[in-house]
Amino acid sequence: MPRHKARPDHLSSTFAALADPTRRAILGRLASGEASVTELAKPFDLTLPGISKHLKVLQRAGLITQGRRAQWRPCRLRGRPLREVADWVERYRRFWEESFDRLDDYLREVQRKEKRHDGKS
Amino acid sequence: MTANRDRTTAQTQRAIVITRVFDAPRQLVWKAWTEPRHFARWYGPKGFTTPVCRIDLRVGGKYLNCMRSPEGQDFWSTGVFREIVAPERLVMTASRADKDGNVDADWPVETQISVTFEEDDGRTKVTLEHVGMPAGTGRDMAEAGWNESLDRLADVLAESRQA
Repeated sequence: MPRHKARPDHLSSTFAALADPTRRAILGRLASGEASVTELAKPFDLTLPGISKHLKVLQRAGLITQGRRAQWRPCRLRGRPLREVADWVERYRRFWEESFDRLDDYLREVQRKEKRHDGKS
Repeated sequence: MTANRDRTTAQTQRAIVITRVFDAPRQLVWKAWTEPRHFARWYGPKGFTTPVCRIDLRVGGKYLNCMRSPEGQDFWSTGVFREIVAPERLVMTASRADKDGNVDADWPVETQISVTFEEDDGRTKVTLEHVGMPAGTGRDMAEAGWNESLDRLADVLAESRQA
């Protein structure tokens, strides 16, 4: 519905990444600061390979980055894809506002015609 | 920057809520939403047209719209009616689609549009709520704290905007 198909792959991978409750919880944890993979795994009943899989999905969606510092390689949240989600919401808002402007005009037009019609009959 | 932050939070939490009072009786506004010949006349931004509009107005029934941009690009959308209480309330899903009504695989996003129509002394107050969520997750997703999570993330987003 929005006019521009702005970066559809990005948005759908963001949505797909956000669709999982564990991944949302991971992002929620990272919202309060960077954390190591071990730290991230702790609150969940997950093995390290299990958590790594989730982190890979988040990384591919560009929602997190992982540091290269040896040993603890901290994960960090990236705001940009989330901003794209917010922009998408903003596009829909404009879409409806403009449609409502047209609906307003159209309803006036229909009623004017009805009145004219009533006058004739 | 608090205002900016609040706005972002509100957007992600409740998605879009728009209220407008139309100077027309409720029955007419309802018709404008539910009959193709009316709907096609106003749906979409200024300069857009709606060459195809099919509405099967019953719970579980589908609609299929084609919106054409001034440049001639077509945007198809489809969805299913979830709730129909004439002339008070209309709830439907919405997804991007192709001309045969198949949901666009590159854009697997199903949204839900709820519209309420309130009579107000010969005029009609329309409240539209448009909630976005990933396809296939439906309402369970919203109940499972999707909104809360996004809300929390929006705070981070607001911070990164300031940075």
